[in-house]
Amino acid sequence: MIEQVQHAGEHLLPGHIGRFFVVISFVAALLATVSYFSATRAKDNLVQFYWNRIARWSFLIHGVAVVGIVVVLFYLIANHFFEYHYVWKHSSKSLPSQYLLSCFWEGQEGSFLLWTFWHIVLGGILIFTAKKWENPVMTVIAATQVVLASMLLGIHVLDFKIGSNPFILMRQAMDAPIFARENYMNFISDGTGLNPLLQNYWMTIHPPTLFLGFAASIVPFAFAFAGLWTQDFKGWVNQALPWTLFAAMILGTGVLMGAAWAYEALSFGGFWAWDPVENASLVPLLTLIGGLHTLVVYRHTGHGLKATKILFILTFLLILYSTFLTRSGILGDTSVHSFTAMGMEKQLIAFIFIFLIPSVYLLIRRWNRIPTQDKEESTSSREFWMFIGSLVLLLSAIQITFTTSIPVYNEVLGTDIAPPTDPIQHYNKIQVWIAIIVGIMTAFGQFLRYRRSDSKTFFIQTGSLLGISLVLSVAAAYALDILVVHYTLMLFAGIFAVIGNLAYLFIKLKGNLRMAGSSFAHVGFGLIMLGVLISNYNQQVISINREGIDFGDEMSEKQKRENILLWEDTPKPMGNYIVTYQGDTSIGVNTYYNVKYERLNNSGEKVDEFVLKPYAKITPEMGITASPATRNYLTQDIYTHVSSVPKKEEKDKKKEEYEKQTIAVGDTIWTSSKFVVLEKMNPYPEHPDYDKKKGDIAVGAKLTIGGIEGKTQHAEPVYVIRDKRAHYFDDEVSALGMKFRLMEIKPQEEKMVIGYIEDEDERDFIIMKAIIFPYMNILWAGCIIMVLGFGISIVRRRQENKRLANRKKKRETQETLAA
Amino acid sequence: MKKTHIIVLVLVAAIIGTIVSMTSDYSTYENFATATTKKGEELHVVGNLAEDDTMIYNPKKNPNRFVFHMIDKQGNKEKVVYSGAKPRDFERSEQIVLTGEMKDNYFSADKILMKCPSKYTKDTVQVDGGTQAQVSDIQTKGKSYD
Repeated sequence: MIEQVQHAGEHLLPGHIGRFFVVISFVAALLATVSYFSATRAKDNLVQFYWNRIARWSFLIHGVAVVGIVVVLFYLIANHFFEYHYVWKHSSKSLPSQYLLSCFWEGQEGSFLLWTFWHIVLGGILIFTAKKWENPVMTVIAATQVVLASMLLGIHVLDFKIGSNPFILMRQAMDAPIFARENYMNFISDGTGLNPLLQNYWMTIHPPTLFLGFAASIVPFAFAFAGLWTQDFKGWVNQALPWTLFAAMILGTGVLMGAAWAYEALSFGGFWAWDPVENASLVPLLTLIGGLHTLVVYRHTGHGLKATKILFILTFLLILYSTFLTRSGILGDTSVHSFTAMGMEKQLIAFIFIFLIPSVYLLIRRWNRIPTQDKEESTSSREFWMFIGSLVLLLSAIQITFTTSIPVYNEVLGTDIAPPTDPIQHYNKIQVWIAIIVGIMTAFGQFLRYRRSDSKTFFIQTGSLLGISLVLSVAAAYALDILVVHYTLMLFAGIFAVIGNLAYLFIKLKGNLRMAGSSFAHVGFGLIMLGVLISNYNQQVISINREGIDFGDEMSEKQKRENILLWEDTPKPMGNYIVTYQGDTSIGVNTYYNVKYERLNNSGEKVDEFVLKPYAKITPEMGITASPATRNYLTQDIYTHVSSVPKKEEKDKKKEEYEKQTIAVGDTIWTSSKFVVLEKMNPYPEHPDYDKKKGDIAVGAKLTIGGIEGKTQHAEPVYVIRDKRAHYFDDEVSALGMKFRLMEIKPQEEKMVIGYIEDEDERDFIIMKAIIFPYMNILWAGCIIMVLGFGISIVRRRQENKRLANRKKKRETQETLAA
Repeated sequence: MKKTHIIVLVLVAAIIGTIVSMTSDYSTYENFATATTKKGEELHVVGNLAEDDTMIYNPKKNPNRFVFHMIDKQGNKEKVVYSGAKPRDFERSEQIVLTGEMKDNYFSADKILMKCPSKYTKDTVQVDGGTQAQVSDIQTKGKSYD
């Protein structure tokens, strides 16, 4: 700032403290990285010890500083200090207090903080539990913290902007004459607020979960990296396994929560749209789960160490790549909900390469020394098929990444490729087959043994399960009418996965819950497959508009008619329901539209009735944002959202202008709820106001008007040319609220221009869309069971690790005693 | 040959096969002029709302028909017919990406992706007293994808 203006009403102290913490967190993270690095490299135990202590203290200071940043930023938000740009941009006074946390992480800075915060929590646990792995593993985590802390620095070095500081003031962030005034704070009384779309409880729980998943995924990567670095290629495996399970569980939960949010609160019309932002968090999950399987294989057989390392490294790099995609603004043209550019693209790219280069270097350098098994996996072994399964997941990740990266190719190569016009069909084309393969493999894979299986028992067991699944699948395919080859196969794969894993749990494991982690997870996966398939394949839009369709030239045959207009208090049949819009109620910024659904049985008796209240937030800044309402049944969901609502103030306007249509005899005009047929031209018209005179050229248009209900009516507007001037004699049909005028005659074309005014219907209405999603509960149940499975596995693997440690300790004591 | 080698070969083949089969789905960003030469093809057109032309959305008549005009990157204006409800806040959109096909005298869109920078980036200081000061924001001055 060149000129020193004293600004009244600013609270500068918290900002100074915040910026101080930002610098401290960066410097301390840097020191922790260097110290952990040195501790790892130190040969001498004492030197190592001292480096380690410096590192721990620096990491602690870093942690305190980050918590400090969080507290100060939260303090600013909670106190509505709008002189701070971040506060002004992401919060407002009217925001309910439960969303204060949400606005904290709405912006890029806040979400980086959230991620950093989880690294500190996990780092803290690792410091106490990782033992000899602490130094190398924490080097990786501390290095990540340096990069993440730099995202908040907000300094300019030469031409590069490094980070974006959340404590920047409005007058520093923006350039406007108002800030030259010392009392500018008097004019800024409120912030712009949290995006209404995000004012939802999912926004409170989804980001922390997803970022904990991201943060947890660094742990397997850090262990794999540490193994390569310290050349202890195997020792990390046992410790990394529960962490990997934890990361997969949380990341999976985060991704599924995103899907649930989209389904429940956003009017996307579904739970998964293959949006680039959704894909970006799904892809690391796929490779992480691939790595989890190869890691388990390694623990049991000694095979697959290289694959595990590659997959864990890939997972972390993909998280960084997804960070780049969602935060650089590069997805601008292809995604509805990515962050916008903040001028940090280069820094985000650097983030990837800082971890890509050392990982790939170490991997290549140490490749030949990573232990492998000379003997090949037998095709009858479980590990062989688990390995194939991981590769299939990798293939899935590659396809998704390949298409999601289109904007990146355009940027790098200067091309102008557009994403597929129908992304859902594009991804499904490959992903359905991948799901089929994975589903089938999870079912029979369980019945294989590590190293070698007895083929006779295997075929007897899986053969009978296969038979049962086939019978069930055929029945289900006919019952649900899923008779397209690949979807029928997917149905079978899902059923087989569920049946196979249930059978494994009860027959082989004899219901032993401690060992049941993988069975649960796979049953969950099978159910997710089934839920996704059935709810999407059999989803049915019931709000089909059947009225007032304009048959003009602009209507293509594939015209969608998926929105329906509901007049207030006027019942309309929709699918199996009679639906009535019963007016709206406003609560705060939310307007709830009460839509009553009634279902009648064949004899016309009411068997079911409920009211759905889809709502819209109507705010001056954003206009209307709609949220759906869903009625959940055991077997189906009825999902409703308003697509459009009339603006209240527009309703008073009376239209006094004629709608014109040029038509020939026999043609029909469609109005909002009526049709008008031009029956014929009448050269000898009669009209009460028209006195015939000689020399007149008079024409009447005989019209037949019909509505949705009631009798048809007739009208005959008359057009007269007298003394070379046109005179109009309008005709009104008061029963239908319509007025007609014959406006012009085009003798050459044998057409007439008919004008009409239709009384504006004063009643209230909404435009809405309703979809039936069958069996959504299968999907949600699958999600819960899968997450439960991960949980069970974590407990089991931790117990195993403890037993191993105890056994080792016992052996050591015995050895010392013997000595 | 070892089994792993075969698997790797199969995998590589699968990846190549997938990618080749995928690229046929990719479309291109066109403008109205080039779209006219590719009638019947699903494609994307990027542009801005022609604000001076009236938008027609008469839900009472047909809730699934919304007509507006868009100016593409070349500056050509074309009528667009969207078969669906008028998207919320359409007037505020700064950029529109249409998916659909060119017809004889209009573009038939079945998907509209709007960029509403007002939601996320463009800062408008609401100054008490009703006047609005539009300010450019150095923080959000990133890359524009024009």
